[in-house]
Amino acid sequence: MSDYKKEYTPWQAGRSKNITFIVTKDCQLACKYCYLIGKNDKERMNWSVAKQAIDYILAHEIDFPEESVIWDFIGGEPFLEIELIDRICDYIKSEMYRLNHHWFNSYRFSFSTNGINYSSDKVQKFIKKNPTHLSIGITIDGTKRKHDLNRIWNNNDEEKGSYDDVVRNIPLWLKQFPDAATKVTISHSDLPYIAESVLHLYSLGIHNVNINCVFEDVWLDGDDNLFVEQLIMLADKIIEQRLFENYSCSFFSENIGRPMDSIIENNNWCGAGKMLSIDAAGNFYPCTRFAAYSLRSKKPIIIGNVYDGIDKNLLRPFLSLDRTTQSPQKCLDCEVASGCAWCQGENYDAADTPTIYQRSTAICKMHKARVRANNYYWNKLFRLLEIEGRKEEFEKNKPQSSKLPC
Amino acid sequence: MLKYLVILLDDTSVSFCHYRNDKEVRRLIPYDDLKSAIIWAMKENLMVQFVYPNYTLPIEYVELIDTIDHVDIAENDFDADVLIVNGFDSISTSGISPDLPFVLRITAKEFFDNVDRLSEFSALTIVFTDMEDWGDDTLDKYKTALGKLSRNVSLRISSGESSRVNLVMDRMQLSSMNNCGAGDESITFAPDGQFYICPAFYLNGEPPVGTLEKGVDIPNAQLYKRSYAPICRNCDAYNCKRCIWLNKLKTHEVNTPGREQCVMAHLERNESRRLLESLKSDGIYKTIASIPEIDYLDPFEKL
Repeated sequence: MSDYKKEYTPWQAGRSKNITFIVTKDCQLACKYCYLIGKNDKERMNWSVAKQAIDYILAHEIDFPEESVIWDFIGGEPFLEIELIDRICDYIKSEMYRLNHHWFNSYRFSFSTNGINYSSDKVQKFIKKNPTHLSIGITIDGTKRKHDLNRIWNNNDEEKGSYDDVVRNIPLWLKQFPDAATKVTISHSDLPYIAESVLHLYSLGIHNVNINCVFEDVWLDGDDNLFVEQLIMLADKIIEQRLFENYSCSFFSENIGRPMDSIIENNNWCGAGKMLSIDAAGNFYPCTRFAAYSLRSKKPIIIGNVYDGIDKNLLRPFLSLDRTTQSPQKCLDCEVASGCAWCQGENYDAADTPTIYQRSTAICKMHKARVRANNYYWNKLFRLLEIEGRKEEFEKNKPQSSKLPC
Repeated sequence: MLKYLVILLDDTSVSFCHYRNDKEVRRLIPYDDLKSAIIWAMKENLMVQFVYPNYTLPIEYVELIDTIDHVDIAENDFDADVLIVNGFDSISTSGISPDLPFVLRITAKEFFDNVDRLSEFSALTIVFTDMEDWGDDTLDKYKTALGKLSRNVSLRISSGESSRVNLVMDRMQLSSMNNCGAGDESITFAPDGQFYICPAFYLNGEPPVGTLEKGVDIPNAQLYKRSYAPICRNCDAYNCKRCIWLNKLKTHEVNTPGREQCVMAHLERNESRRLLESLKSDGIYKTIASIPEIDYLDPFEKL
């Protein structure tokens, strides 16, 4: 067993600043679980705003001391604005060089795309222009029936899934980025298809599947049991087919499902506030999830703009936020607390008052279900490895999925 | 746990804190509401603080107020328990004795312009009315002005004269936090018959947190407690106002102070420390515990 897949670690995890350009709020798709409720084709970033943002950020190097930077582009669908993105990236590179900025040799351009335009000439030209500084994630949700359940075309006439339009680009993507990961989102209606979907993604050649349940309050009675059933089915297949040697699925992690110490394990989970997002109007946000188009019931949290800069007082709540202060007592007392995630934006959106200090627990039963399935997976896997005398070898080389919260 | 009920007797009731009350149209609290609020305070075992407008109340209101042990907060009324003076020039025009305790509400500029005269008072509490506009430049000047004030106070006390100004003396006399307490220890009843976190919340259109019929129901009430304020919970600037309204104004969160409020409180803390050491060296205040030296002005930096 010498060909264990090496540990999957996101580029410069924990050492990089994530700066997100919301280049458009338009998308070809209208995914049913999408948290971006205010998508439209009017709010497109123009060059002037983008340039002003770059100038501000690079001119305030002291305020951005992180070792590296990830220039992130999202939408809607970012590749709808590939020409603007290309111009932005060229400018970033030339300015970082001109200013002798400490990020010049430590940057990435990152994209989360629906993959539909991936093989277009413009996108491919851009990829070839920046081959060593790109992270591109294509979202494909699994099997055709699972993917098409939610990821449908933005078309009022008839409901049409997008699987076929995405999957055709997967081989090219994996050829260009063999270690690429995909991000799968699970909502209520996806539950029956989890096992088949993860296995399908593996069969497409995707080795890293980052998967999570939505944080919104969508879960119905019995969903947790269905979730466990699916994960156990998946666990059995991964172990029986020895897929654990070369593939990872973020649902299975050894580090989840134990109590947490209130003092030494008190860090916030979410990175909101440590990131910076910029929209088409030139407003700064602590994370994209705090922009108006992401929020159901709260006002956006704007922490500044490209002209006046960042109001650091508005960042203080984000940067001083810790786990225990925002968590209800049941979370602090929880016996399986570790690995239970939250989204600061969803917390804010669901809170009783306009605060980021009230943790939403809509995902509680799904986390507990995940822990049960996770325990099953590791017990079964370790027993197998013990019998084979390979547990120690596995521990040294096991694949791991991303530990990054967002 | 609630300890105090602040009752605004009118929309034009005087401000006694950082917030401004720009309301000019009178709206006297309805008599029946006032009566019910007083009874409610009795049942909840709260100390009532009545905040007065600048006109004489009807006699039946005065009689009703006297049915409960209370504190009166009023402007330019020497009989009030808490006397409010707005603006430095009002000190001379109102003829206040330097020995009388009072709250002086002034701007930073008034403070800087008159700092040499502030040590003349025996029990002066200064509240700034423009805190929301303070920046680094103001804080720099504030540091210098506090130094002047502290030296003047030290000279007067050392020469046997009476002098007490909260900004440089509160901290040395505190061994734990003595903060605003709005939403935690105090609640405000407004002329519209509803409860608010503090008068500033009422005057600035924030939602109410209860009625006499339903009682006080503060959503996310825990966030008004210091233990739920990561920047404040281990802080030892016990003199800090920790103004909940300013918190909300500057950071959008009631439990998170803006940098300016933190730095201001620490400049006062540190000046209080220097003053105490100076007085101790003159053989005064020897029994008061020294204030530890620290290397920061904003506890946010220590998180």
